[in-house]
Amino acid sequence: MQTKARRPLTERQTALILLAPFLVTYALFLVYPFFRGIWISLHDWNLLAVAFNPDAKEFVGLRNYERVMWGRDIAWGFASPVLQTLGALGLAATAWAYLTGRIARFNAVVLAVVSVLLIVLPGFHPDEEGRWYDRRFWPTVGNTILFVALAVPGVTFTALVLAACLNRETRAMGTLRTLFFLSQVLSVTVVTLIWQIMFSPRQGLIANVTGVLGASPINWLTDERFAMAAIVIATIWWSLGIAMILFLAGLQDISKDIYEAAAIDDATGVKAFWYITLPNLKRTITLVVVLQIILHFQVFGQAHLMTQGGPNDSTQVLVRYIYQTGFRDSELGRASAMAVFLFLIMGAFSLIQFAVGREKS
Amino acid sequence: MKHLMLTAAALTVLAGAAPAQEITLARFFGACEDAGTDTTTSTGEACIIQSIINAADAEIDGVSIETLPTDWGNYYDQVKAAFAGGSAPDVFVMHRHRIPEFAGIGALAEISGELEAAGIDASDWSETAREAVTYNGGIYGVPMDFHANLWHVNMELMEAAGLVEDGVPVLPSSPEELLAHAQQVKEATGQDYLAADFAQFPIGVRLVLALMWQQDANIFTEDGTATIDTEAGQNAVTAITQLFDAELANPQLNYADSQQAFLNGEAAILVNGTWVVDFYTAEAAKEEVALDDYYVADFPTLFEIGATWADSHMWAMPSTLEGADREAALKVLAFINEHNIDWARTGHMAVRTSVVESNAYTSLPHRDEYAGTAAIARDTPPSERYGAIQDVLNRELQAIWLTGKDVSAALSDAEVEVQDLLDR
Repeated sequence: MQTKARRPLTERQTALILLAPFLVTYALFLVYPFFRGIWISLHDWNLLAVAFNPDAKEFVGLRNYERVMWGRDIAWGFASPVLQTLGALGLAATAWAYLTGRIARFNAVVLAVVSVLLIVLPGFHPDEEGRWYDRRFWPTVGNTILFVALAVPGVTFTALVLAACLNRETRAMGTLRTLFFLSQVLSVTVVTLIWQIMFSPRQGLIANVTGVLGASPINWLTDERFAMAAIVIATIWWSLGIAMILFLAGLQDISKDIYEAAAIDDATGVKAFWYITLPNLKRTITLVVVLQIILHFQVFGQAHLMTQGGPNDSTQVLVRYIYQTGFRDSELGRASAMAVFLFLIMGAFSLIQFAVGREKS
Repeated sequence: MKHLMLTAAALTVLAGAAPAQEITLARFFGACEDAGTDTTTSTGEACIIQSIINAADAEIDGVSIETLPTDWGNYYDQVKAAFAGGSAPDVFVMHRHRIPEFAGIGALAEISGELEAAGIDASDWSETAREAVTYNGGIYGVPMDFHANLWHVNMELMEAAGLVEDGVPVLPSSPEELLAHAQQVKEATGQDYLAADFAQFPIGVRLVLALMWQQDANIFTEDGTATIDTEAGQNAVTAITQLFDAELANPQLNYADSQQAFLNGEAAILVNGTWVVDFYTAEAAKEEVALDDYYVADFPTLFEIGATWADSHMWAMPSTLEGADREAALKVLAFINEHNIDWARTGHMAVRTSVVESNAYTSLPHRDEYAGTAAIARDTPPSERYGAIQDVLNRELQAIWLTGKDVSAALSDAEVEVQDLLDR
């Protein structure tokens, strides 16, 4: 009697089996904690109290969100003229650019949404009798956005320039590439330690150099005008490596023929960079920018270790506020509500990244 | 094979007959790599405490101690996270001001009934020391010290400014005199009068608090009403800002920088705690350190009542600790209590009467110069939100001296924020 041949697995079954280890880990360590976080954000949940008595939490619905993001007697109006005007101009410019066929539909939608948010969100403000329930939350969000707005262009620009300079096949360039990448492997503790010493007005390298030039030392980390710049500089130095490697990969994808053809038309050096390198790197630049945005919204160590959020909260960032609320104040519910807010911001940028990637292919 | 397994099993049983009880211990004070086990010669908080711990590990039979790696700035966050994760350290150091937060939810072991059996004589603790570890009638730890803000003085600079009489520094008795002394020092030496960490840790907060208490005011009442934007608050802050405005002190120095300024002879006075007395004494003895003639003074009274910020270090264990672990942890607490005199070498004030009255204690360097501090030691009313309240004050006060924020605006902002915290 012939034994029945074993039926081979279908493609779908094989895929599931092969994906299972990832899916299980992913569900256990990412999906479950994420939904648990949302669940916690709907409770009055004291970190210590719940550890000793699981019933010590109380379901409060959306109250944590209200307490963090809303206030008493909040009105809407022309409260922040600069941002709101910028939003209105942005909307007009988007409409014009789309109607004259200068930008694609998707880009137009993104720009329009950003512009509308810029008009709507800064308009909320407490009236004379009112106040935000949490007076630090929105300024903290503002600081985080400012940090991202400074760090992302900083990293992108520096990494791009470095990559363009180091894109040659010599041993020296190889060594330099390694050197520039090295800072990336350091932990945030080491990076901030190095930069605290660099910025120190007494022993710091920067103070010594400016001292030779006759300038009085700057108190980088305790002066409101320089504290944010200081953590941005440290961040750029730290996160240059990955961006540079991505740009180098992008640069090596550009065919040499194009440059040769351009050289015949007298386009070399800066001209070639502007007309050939940049347009060909467009996708890499988008990728780097979006990755950096998502990464830098989560800034924590630099602000926590270098400036402790100060002076006067000028470098207080969202993750540090979440950390303080959760661990210093033991208010896990409130902290989770803020974390969900941060997730929404990063989720939005991930969607943009996803959509841009799809549109191009 | 069977024989081998049996032998192995037998060996395990034999070895398990007298197992060393593993105790995990968490502390701040910083790291000291080679502290050794000699508790009588180490210098500085980190090395003295680590030498006591090492000695306990070596000397207590059947107990081995593992000191957990912790970071000072985030210490309480780490301890809370450990509690929340069900892996609290068996023994850990904490401040008196944290008792309401931890004991309030039942996290700390109540040990009043176990002290005697463990060899800890609680009747030897001073009255205030006992109060420091008492919460709702129970005892929740073993006190280790009182620490307070002092004025560390560079006598050479003071002498040059004519501010020394009979070998004792002349300290101000009013805000006006403070300014006058500061000007005298500047004119005579070109150096700043006063340095302190106004830019990072809450030393500036503790200064302002002391000056408020000296006017019989406080930042909030026992019943939870914030009272910061007051005349007393204004007076306290302006007593300090007048020095910054006249460029007789630099608000932008952090802890390390202000300490360095004092050791370099760039400031006549450093406001800092009891914990650095032995360290500065050792530094002043060094040839290469500019500070030579070092003196320690009680925090002067600039208003009506004497007051300086003070707190207490104590050792506690989690309420969940039971059986042999609990016994072993108590042995460690007893050992630390035994070595109160060693810890007092840092400059901290001892908690045991027998130690305070001993010759070894009274003859510690500079000890007689700040004998008045114990009587003027103060702190804010107990609150579960102590940490957050200190952060609010630190932020708003720093806004005043680092970013030029208007004093009453900052005080009223601080009052609103502290009230929010008290109401939560």
